[in-house]
Amino acid sequence: MKFISIAVKDFKELVRDKRGLFFILLFPIFFMMIFGFAFGGMGQENTPHNIAIVNYDEGATILTGENFNFGNNLTNQIKESTYSNSDVKLFNVTETTESQADSLLKQRTVDAELIIPSNFSASMASQIANSSGLTANINSTVSSPIIRGDEGYSNFFASESALSTVMTGYQSGIVNGFKNQLAGTPGAEPVKYVNITVQGISGTQSFTQFDFLAPGMMVFAILLLATTIAAILTREVESGTLERLKMSKMRSFDLLFGGLIPWSLVAGAQVVILLIVAVLLGLHWQGGINSVILATIIGIIGGVASIALAMIIASFAKNDRQAANLGTLIVVPISFLVGAFFPLPQVFITVLGHSFQIYELIPWTHTLNALRGVLLYGEGLNAVAFQIELSLILTVILFIIGVFLYSRTRLRADN
Amino acid sequence: MDYMIEAIDLTKKFDDLTAVDGLNIKIRKGEVFGFLGPNGAGKTTSIRMMVGLLKPTSGTILIDGKDIKQTEKGKIGICPQELMLWEHLTCKESLSLMADMYEVPKDVKNQRIDGLLKDLFLTDKADTVVSNLSGGMKRRLNLALSVVHEPDVVVLDEPSEGLDPQSRRVLWNYIRSMRDVQGKTVILTTHLMDEADSLSDRIGIVDHGKLIRLDTPENLKKEIGEGDIVDIKLSDPSKNLELITELEKIEDIISVVETDSRINIRALDAVSKLPQIMKLVEESDLRVDDLSVRQNTLEDVFIDLTGTGLRE
Ligand SMILES: Nc1ncnc2c1ncn2[C@@H]1O[C@H](COP(=O)(O)OP(=O)(O)O)[C@@H](O)[C@H]1O
Ligand SMILES: [Mg+2]
Repeated sequence: MKFISIAVKDFKELVRDKRGLFFILLFPIFFMMIFGFAFGGMGQENTPHNIAIVNYDEGATILTGENFNFGNNLTNQIKESTYSNSDVKLFNVTETTESQADSLLKQRTVDAELIIPSNFSASMASQIANSSGLTANINSTVSSPIIRGDEGYSNFFASESALSTVMTGYQSGIVNGFKNQLAGTPGAEPVKYVNITVQGISGTQSFTQFDFLAPGMMVFAILLLATTIAAILTREVESGTLERLKMSKMRSFDLLFGGLIPWSLVAGAQVVILLIVAVLLGLHWQGGINSVILATIIGIIGGVASIALAMIIASFAKNDRQAANLGTLIVVPISFLVGAFFPLPQVFITVLGHSFQIYELIPWTHTLNALRGVLLYGEGLNAVAFQIELSLILTVILFIIGVFLYSRTRLRADN
Repeated sequence: MDYMIEAIDLTKKFDDLTAVDGLNIKIRKGEVFGFLGPNGAGKTTSIRMMVGLLKPTSGTILIDGKDIKQTEKGKIGICPQELMLWEHLTCKESLSLMADMYEVPKDVKNQRIDGLLKDLFLTDKADTVVSNLSGGMKRRLNLALSVVHEPDVVVLDEPSEGLDPQSRRVLWNYIRSMRDVQGKTVILTTHLMDEADSLSDRIGIVDHGKLIRLDTPENLKKEIGEGDIVDIKLSDPSKNLELITELEKIEDIISVVETDSRINIRALDAVSKLPQIMKLVEESDLRVDDLSVRQNTLEDVFIDLTGTGLRE
């Protein structure tokens, strides 16, 4: 089990190299604190969410005999909603057609799109009738409004969550209102006739800028790891110890797999440590212990991607200082590209008829999306599985490139 | 098979430079073989090819009669010219790592490491991190790391470069014990005459990538003769050649060479020649800065063979 000896050695080197350790642990903590103080406690971000509403509702006759369009009513309600204890509107609404709304969504002019189906009023009428006990001559109708958006986009989660909160409130408010109006007493639990297709996300209205930055800092830290590992790998070449190892019975697998263990664990540790710091600084963290475990796993996958990047850097750097400099030069722009500091405008490219965002080719983009989903919106494994899969696939590709380059340049007998 | 390593027409070219030029050498089992030559002579390049770290441009290397590609890893231990150490590991951790890499069985590992630390006077420093060791200690650890798997062949590249006298004595004794006690074949490269002289059973003298002489230290010295050396430094070295022409006329002088801007005169009874030499110096109207008489050494063999002193 030679890779275990290598793993132990790499772990010791990592822990004893105070400068490198400072760089990958204290540096991100320091950044996290700056962002925490700058964007955390200071301002709840009360800016309206940009949404588009597509209303297909045809209206319905309700118990009182009136024809009423609940879709229009809901739209107005959404337009009027404000943040609690504030005059600021919760939404900035564009009423439009579905195709127009879809294109606004793609341009990120809007964060989310609400589609109210044609039978929305009918379902509301059913619900009112049902909860009032007057079901005799009314058909039960179920409607399914849709909230549509880009799950990789942080603003979507916030808008979606605010929308569903308002809609749930609307539904029960209307039903109870009618019921009380008719019966004068609150009745039994209303049967739901409106099934809103949203993920269960709670109270994101209180999110601050810091909440979006904190997972970004974790990804930044994981990316910085590439710099330190590249320096360690290059030092192995420079100090000649790699030559020693090459003379021995060690195989390339032992060297690379042995390194993978401690370094990816460090990435997981970075996530946990930075999460603790962020929570202390007021992160609106959701999801409990399970989310920590899931986030650690996501961090470890991101760490493996960083190790792959480190191998690529170490294939070209001549000494450890150069590796560290080259690493920083690569890692910082990548951090911006994956949106660790702020969301970037979308850039689409089309390959084989599929159109996707250019940032989605970078594994850490998905690390960040998955971390945000898990830590901010309390999402479970199912909800982020797609992001994890994407990061896994891209990481494997990057790793193969890294192993190939590093083996070719560093692990062969000299010519 | 009598020979541990055979190099046949070994050549290495770096672009235009021929670092090793058709080297033919057979190293016997159980001997200490010394590669002697100035810096840049091609010693490191030769031994790196002989242990499989560098691909030759042409030529063949046989280890124990088999092609080097079929040689099992671990048969050879090489102690490189440069330090190759993990700065953040302790002596013991480094040795343990290399023992693991060579699959040294667990039950003998610790005992062997302790023995090595003791032999190389590093026991006190067993748990000291490498970056806190002195230069000499690092060199000794560098050696220990190369032999922890008890290879049949130990290759030492300039082992005493940068060593303090005490560390050098430890090292020399250890090299002798590798041959005498452990029965290993040892190859060492050096540009130090006394090192090659006092350790090697046979010496190969190399310069500009070529083997120019191979023999025992005794034979090499005998070949040059028993004479002593008068070493003169003129205040104006540009007059050296002029004086050399005059000196060569003296009877019973074996050789006169210029080396390092000095003049070396070898003669059987050098002291008796001193008056004649001084007379010539005065007649030529020259001034002497420094003059000494010493015994003939291996260095003089080298100077005789190559016409130059050892470049440091
Ligand atoms: N990797 C290399 N590339 C180009 N030239 C080299 C390389 N290694 C050694 N040389 C040259 O080959 C010659 C022999 O070097 P080397 O074997 O290190 O000499 P020695 O060990 O005897 O001092 C020198 O001129 C050196 O500059
Ligand atoms: Mg050398």
